[in-house]
Amino acid sequence: MDRRTYCTTLAAIGVLGAKRLLASKANSPLAAESVENLPKIQGAITLYLGRGEGGLYEDILKAIKERNPDLELKIRRGPSSALANTIVAEAGSGVQRADLFWAIDSGSIGHVLNNAVAKPLPSIIRDMLEPKFRREAWTPISGRIRTLTFNTDRITREAIPKSILDLPHRDLKIGWAPTYAAFQSFVTAFRLLEGEKTTEEWLKAMRSKARALAGELNVVMAVASGDLDIGLANHYYTLRLKKGRPEVPLDLAFTNNDAGCLLNVSGVVILQNKPETELFLRHLLTKEVQSYLAREAYEIPLVIGIQPPKGLPEIARVNPPKVDLDKLADLKPTLTLLRKTEVL
Amino acid sequence: MQRYSFAKRWRLHVPIAPIVLLALSPIVVLIALATQEPLEFGSRNWRILGNTVGLTALTVLGAVAIGAPLAFATTCLKLRRAGLVLAMLVFPLAVPSYIGAFAYFAATGPGGEIENLFGIAPPEVRGLFGTAWVMTLYTFPFVVLSVRASLLRLDAGLVESGRTLGLTPLGTLSHVIFPRIRGGIASGALLVALYTLSDFATPAILGFDTFTRAIYVEYNAFGLSRAAWLSLQLLLLVLVVLTFESRAKTVRENPGRTLRWNPLPATKFCIFISTTLIWISSVGLPFVLFFIWIKREGVRSFEPSILLHSVVPAGLAAFCAVIVALPLAQAASYGGRTENWMLRLTSFGFGIPGIVMGTALVYVGLHLPWMYQTTAMLVLGYVLRFLPLATGSLREGLDRLENSLSAAARSLGASPFETFRRVKLPLIMPAALSGAALIFLEAMRELPLTLLLRPTGMETLTTRLWQVYEAGYFGDAAIPGLLLIFTSFIAMLLFIRTERLLRLAPEAET
Repeated sequence: MDRRTYCTTLAAIGVLGAKRLLASKANSPLAAESVENLPKIQGAITLYLGRGEGGLYEDILKAIKERNPDLELKIRRGPSSALANTIVAEAGSGVQRADLFWAIDSGSIGHVLNNAVAKPLPSIIRDMLEPKFRREAWTPISGRIRTLTFNTDRITREAIPKSILDLPHRDLKIGWAPTYAAFQSFVTAFRLLEGEKTTEEWLKAMRSKARALAGELNVVMAVASGDLDIGLANHYYTLRLKKGRPEVPLDLAFTNNDAGCLLNVSGVVILQNKPETELFLRHLLTKEVQSYLAREAYEIPLVIGIQPPKGLPEIARVNPPKVDLDKLADLKPTLTLLRKTEVL
Repeated sequence: MQRYSFAKRWRLHVPIAPIVLLALSPIVVLIALATQEPLEFGSRNWRILGNTVGLTALTVLGAVAIGAPLAFATTCLKLRRAGLVLAMLVFPLAVPSYIGAFAYFAATGPGGEIENLFGIAPPEVRGLFGTAWVMTLYTFPFVVLSVRASLLRLDAGLVESGRTLGLTPLGTLSHVIFPRIRGGIASGALLVALYTLSDFATPAILGFDTFTRAIYVEYNAFGLSRAAWLSLQLLLLVLVVLTFESRAKTVRENPGRTLRWNPLPATKFCIFISTTLIWISSVGLPFVLFFIWIKREGVRSFEPSILLHSVVPAGLAAFCAVIVALPLAQAASYGGRTENWMLRLTSFGFGIPGIVMGTALVYVGLHLPWMYQTTAMLVLGYVLRFLPLATGSLREGLDRLENSLSAAARSLGASPFETFRRVKLPLIMPAALSGAALIFLEAMRELPLTLLLRPTGMETLTTRLWQVYEAGYFGDAAIPGLLLIFTSFIAMLLFIRTERLLRLAPEAET
């Protein structure tokens, strides 16, 4: 198996013409706005962009820039958590640079909300989202589910436990990415659901078995190449890989009603109330952008009336745990635990 | 060496005191950040310390083992195309070590590019030995250059006297040559050690837990205070290295002929083979990979502004650093212990890893909103971090100056400024240029500092490359990677040119 070629294939599917993205007319049954009906953005926006989902966000930004020639968009890229730190530090010193913060996990968003001043959202934006994703101070943009991705040549679906708690007690070669923000949010959910003690024991049991990789894309690639049997990762890595190379022996498995199948979101915080920022946010929630995210990035759209991504056949059957997304910001005890168990 | 009186030295202090204070400000910020939470030193900490020390030691050993013999070969043996061999050996300096790490990461192991091409997978380069190997490949030229400088100062007459008095060639090597190049080896090894201690991306890509990687992880996990605490520990290691450095002294030699031996054919063959192998594994591999990627995926959209964003701040930093370094080097050269310590304090910057310097300066910047996220801040970061490269180079240039020349100019009625402009400046120009070239090179390829301090919206070659690496689109690394190597190469040509100027000076006297 060839982990590098997967990357290049990913690249190929990622690079879709920006024109095509916002020109396509998706037929959405319900109310999602069309980019055609939005006024043009005029003015300057400084966006802090949490580490991009493999160039797909870049295409969206490029398309928005092409449609809005009078928009001066300045982007600061970095890991979501590092940018969240920066925003909090800026707020503490009364220096403000960012108008918008687009983070890939709700943990970073929570950190900003707890420590800096976010501007409330206009109701027009809130009402576009599925009711359970409506928030006062931030907007979810797209959803992702925690999955167990496994190599179908090496193990069968039956070998995979239905509970995440049982994972370290099976004879499996496991991969995970403890430094990745989405993983840390998963552990936070684990803590909230199972309690500190169980989480600590689970982490210890896993630590002796699992191989730590730098990111979840690497985890999925190591599983695809047969280095590992199974890996913990967000769902879209596997689907994107399979789209580029359908013959890859990869499949998704879901645990039942525990942190192993947590539904997490990427989202935007408004830090500076301006007409531009609101309009920009509405662009991200248009049916064109949302369908693009679902179609090309395999992210789960959160706006009413957009089709979920193909290849997530079990989505209706998945039974994610009930965790308040805002509580995922409680990262500090998670990090303490990860350090205590030497996972991090 | 003329020493200035204390009263006169005060005049030297005035311009350099603010520089020293500024250079120390990141450390103050770090202490403030670290003490926000109780300091701990657990088993994980010991492991990181062990890893860092082990990696540094192995890299230094490797760099000296490769660099010192090859420096001797290219300097003291009569080789055809010795200049070309030297250029080949210095070329890896133009390749940032993380590009090497990136290339090894993509090429080796199961599923790597080498397996794609030849069907055989070499073992994956990772962990302690893998990381040390890659670090060695890109740092040994420091040893080549410093040992070469010592060898050029060596008078062949001494060696020949030794031989006439019955020493074997090996005996000459150990009793006459080695004691005279020990300082050169030490200063090269010091540079290698500092480089290894502060490099972030190479161990990060190759999956080896060192201080820099742990700091980065903590920084990204909201553990700013722990990141600062780890940084202070790393700085302590740097301090140890710098203490060793203060003991290593270059031997002042009377000018003489450079040593020239005739090598045996077998020796020549060995030199040829080892140089070629080293070159293929350090420079050839990334180049081949980049071209394969370009061929396979074509050249995607590349914005030329990225190149400009890389070159301009690096150039500004090189210029500013030399200007700032001049009074520092001057003070250290003519002053006493205090000035030497001041110089040493400013050289702390080179040991502060970019990610740490970046964090600290971001916090400094937050209190100076007019500086925050500006090019000026980025340039300041580069200057503070790479200043030692300029002071070191200038100091060497100044130490080599005959004071009598300035004295003669002064007695002939030239003002101090005119003496500086017409006598000193032309003489230290090569040193200043080589210092500037080194800084330009380092600033161009500095990654974490650039990531943190650059103005919003400014992408440089390095930040671009990092973005590509994180996203996993290796093919897009080719163009920025090649451009980075190319611009570094031009800076290096400048460096070699000035090095040749330095080398020609003693030869002209014979």
